Amino acid sequence: MSESLVNSSLDNKLREMLSEVRNFHLGSSVTCLEILKAVMAKKRERDVVILSKGHSAPAFYVILSELGLLSGEELKSFADLNGLPSHVIRGLPFIEVSSGSLGQGLSVANGIALASRIEGEERNIYVILGDGELDEGQIWEAAMSSSHYRLDNVVAIVDRNFRQLTGKTEEIMSKEPLVDKWKAFGWEAFEVENKAEKILKLLYELDRIKGRPKVVIASWKM
Amino acid sequence: MPVFESFREAFGRALVEIGEKNEDVVVLDADVKDSTKTIYFEKAFPDRFFQMGISEQDLISTAAGFAIAGKIPVASAFAAFMMRAWEQIRNTVARDNLNVKIVATHSGFSDFMDGSSHQSLEDIALMRVLPNMHVIVPADAHATGILLSQMIEREGPFYMRLGRDYAVKVYDEEELKIGNAEILKEGEDVFLLACGPMVSVALEVAEKLKDLSIGVADFHTIKPFDEETLLKIARKANLIITLEEHSIFGGFGGAVAEILSENMPRRVIRIGTRDFGKSSRDYLTLLDFYGLSSDKIARKIVEVV
Repeated sequence: MSESLVNSSLDNKLREMLSEVRNFHLGSSVTCLEILKAVMAKKRERDVVILSKGHSAPAFYVILSELGLLSGEELKSFADLNGLPSHVIRGLPFIEVSSGSLGQGLSVANGIALASRIEGEERNIYVILGDGELDEGQIWEAAMSSSHYRLDNVVAIVDRNFRQLTGKTEEIMSKEPLVDKWKAFGWEAFEVENKAEKILKLLYELDRIKGRPKVVIASWKM
Repeated sequence: MPVFESFREAFGRALVEIGEKNEDVVVLDADVKDSTKTIYFEKAFPDRFFQMGISEQDLISTAAGFAIAGKIPVASAFAAFMMRAWEQIRNTVARDNLNVKIVATHSGFSDFMDGSSHQSLEDIALMRVLPNMHVIVPADAHATGILLSQMIEREGPFYMRLGRDYAVKVYDEEELKIGNAEILKEGEDVFLLACGPMVSVALEVAEKLKDLSIGVADFHTIKPFDEETLLKIARKANLIITLEEHSIFGGFGGAVAEILSENMPRRVIRIGTRDFGKSSRDYLTLLDFYGLSSDKIARKIVEVV
């Protein structure tokens, strides 16, 4: 899709949109913006993007508006009764599965990847996870399944912003050593600075790695 | 003499027949394939069988992914542990109205030896409350096969609740249909409304109380509920009694009471459980202990009529 996304500056648009709703999940959206830019720039037609951390819906809507798929008027309708839902739901452009409840997106990605394997269909499934979301046990059930089935078309991107709802991730529930954890679960794991062009470059490199699922830890402060 | 069959055998065999006809059907297991009999499907179609390990939440959400990709996933595990994935069923399967078929075995007291941890007495209530969800509780082996094949053909999320082995034959070759309750015996004094294995118990009760005119109906589809047949029965029967191998709170009897209280207020006696189960060396002893044997139910009816 449009590579110009990577260089677009969408931060102000996002802040403006959320200022009207008391900065609803702003933190989660700001750090997700760079990841979404890279993923949507990389996405080919048959690829699937799953926003498992549904709290970043505002960032996703800003991207959709940049792609011309949502009007400014629609952006303003965020969380309004008849407007854009506060967490993404199935039926929105590119959204195959509703989120909002954390921890489920990686399992869904595995299901799509396994079904695609039966059909012999080549597609990447990108799953965007929060670092706080990794507290959910189901993430690690799914992480085992991805590597058990050698789903090398599943690519998880962790929004490593070191924050979760009520504090710093390492104080709420330690995530480190995060790269080692994923590696221990049979994944190829990479750390990258949370900058769209750097994430995009890495995503292209990942296409060459076969036989294992891949995870990108996109760190906000590195 | 009653003929005994097995719910899980019926499920396992029907699934293979369905798999032969429909290539889109895939089966997901939570390391209980020997017990649920999805092992037959694995042997017949190894490429369409997916072992997810002992992880019911991952099982359900992975099935959701298969449905999104256009497959017809059948996710099977023990009912008690399937409820561990209730939130996944709610937030992904039901909310997105996905074509996921959940078949939960070992429900009610059917896993008698394993005791209260394994005995699922709340799942009808938990599934019935979900928008978009269909809830099917077959009475015997024949009903299991025919209703399973219908729910695979129909679009949308389904929950099928099965016992383990003890399935007393109720039907021969009757054409059951999802959504339509079956009146098995007409009666005027008391009408027994039942689902699952309690249908055969209800027929036994009617047989034992020959002095009373007792009707029996099988409500195999709990959601969407066949209100029309219920109201037709309620119009002519003096007393309605519901029978379920499940809690009386929020389950099948609850559904009947909800509908009647709004449309035709009258007394409904709900027979089922009020507590957790316990372990026992055989199923019938356990049913009797909880007041669900035909003897105990017959005695209760004589008391109230």
